[in-house]
Amino acid sequence: MSSIMQYNGAAIIAMVGKDCVAIASDKRFGIRNQTVGCEMKKVFQMNDKVLVGLTGLASDMQTLEQKFRFKNNLYRLREEREMSVTAFSNMVSSLLYESRFGPYFVEPVVAGLTEDGKPYLCGMDLLGAPVLTDDFMLAGDCPEAMFGLCESLYQPNLEPDDLFEVLAQCLLSGVDRDCLSGWGCVVHVLTPQGLTTRHLKGRMD
Amino acid sequence: VGRPACLCRVTLETHAEQQQAKRGEKRARMACATLSPGPLTLAAAPKEGHSHGASERGFYPYDYNGGTTLAVAGANFAIVAGDTRMSSGYNIKSRNVSKLFKLSPNTVLATAGFRGDITTLHKLLRAKATEYQQKHGEPIKVHAVAQMLANTLYGRRFFPYFTWNILAGLDEKGIGCIYSYDPVGNYERVRVNVTGSGESLIQPLLDNQFERQHQQGAPRPSPLCVDLSQEDTVELVKDAFTSAGERDIRTGDSFEVCVITSQGGVKIETYPLNID
Repeated sequence: MSSIMQYNGAAIIAMVGKDCVAIASDKRFGIRNQTVGCEMKKVFQMNDKVLVGLTGLASDMQTLEQKFRFKNNLYRLREEREMSVTAFSNMVSSLLYESRFGPYFVEPVVAGLTEDGKPYLCGMDLLGAPVLTDDFMLAGDCPEAMFGLCESLYQPNLEPDDLFEVLAQCLLSGVDRDCLSGWGCVVHVLTPQGLTTRHLKGRMD
Repeated sequence: VGRPACLCRVTLETHAEQQQAKRGEKRARMACATLSPGPLTLAAAPKEGHSHGASERGFYPYDYNGGTTLAVAGANFAIVAGDTRMSSGYNIKSRNVSKLFKLSPNTVLATAGFRGDITTLHKLLRAKATEYQQKHGEPIKVHAVAQMLANTLYGRRFFPYFTWNILAGLDEKGIGCIYSYDPVGNYERVRVNVTGSGESLIQPLLDNQFERQHQQGAPRPSPLCVDLSQEDTVELVKDAFTSAGERDIRTGDSFEVCVITSQGGVKIETYPLNID
């Protein structure tokens, strides 16, 4: 029994640290069981303080990324300022709910720093129902695997480097038990100083 | 021996598929009540040809009572643990039912799955182990229990015990040994195993902490046993259960950790978990 959300395969985890957030995704692009690409981008940076990761149907992921950019640019032109992460996540939620009876098959995770520099995490289902957490948020095809790891390995108030390590271990070990995600991972760590991106090699299968 | 007709299409389903089947069956029941029957995707289907009215499910001989069991083999110890919740559907039937069963002075069996089959299986094995002890004048060894359990399970290949077993003990050299089983008796000696409803949650944690494949320069453990000390392993097992108890609805209430050593024999300790 295959669901449309598992057609392409993806895994995203985001975690909160001490005045920083980190978000990681795998890199596999597949069509059912066939792997078609190994460098797929699933986490997109909208501005200095906002990152969004998308899982689900790849086609909808890419369409929505373009729509987010469009709305972000329009906001910037009209308001002459950058969109805050709370405004962005509300925008994502509304955009998804507009298609309530023909939804986009994505589950986004929005991570960023608010205007006060505090970390912000918001996960949504495909209809846009938001969930705010202060520890971690994940989405993808292997949620149980990733939940087990995150619950065990996460601790609050980690420094950016430690947060990177914990997040990388959670994602890499989590996707090892899932056929539809993997082929390495990308970890983005967002601090008030800036964004650091690291590409990691995991089990390439 | 007569088998119920509905069993002709019984296939062993994993927990996830069984849940799918339960949901599918609910949908099928609602579909039958309102419209003509749609495609039914479960093993024991209601009678074909119902065109209207609520359809009655035929007798389904299994239930899934949940729970997680975990075992680790160490250099001179074996640890096996299981939670104590027994659930059925979304209800909790009991908060204090043990999944661990001592078969001989240094062998413990942990079983998750359908409680009816678990009880019967344990009763049968206890009888066989006692008979062995009386015939041979010594308690049955782990590898013999392992084979006996496999044969018992395969004896019911076409109406299986709905059980997921892990057998733990000390082998003849005193090294911990763990045997993990599927419901029809395939078994293998492994180093670490988790089974039951929290399997998908805990397995990657064990991969990460014992195999250490993503930790550069970390030592790889030997094939038969883990390289952690007994205290570290018990702590890891406790963490694994606490995490599974948070996110798995069928795991909770409390869990028992049983440590088997040559000096200490079998020692069981109980720790609390969330009761939600």
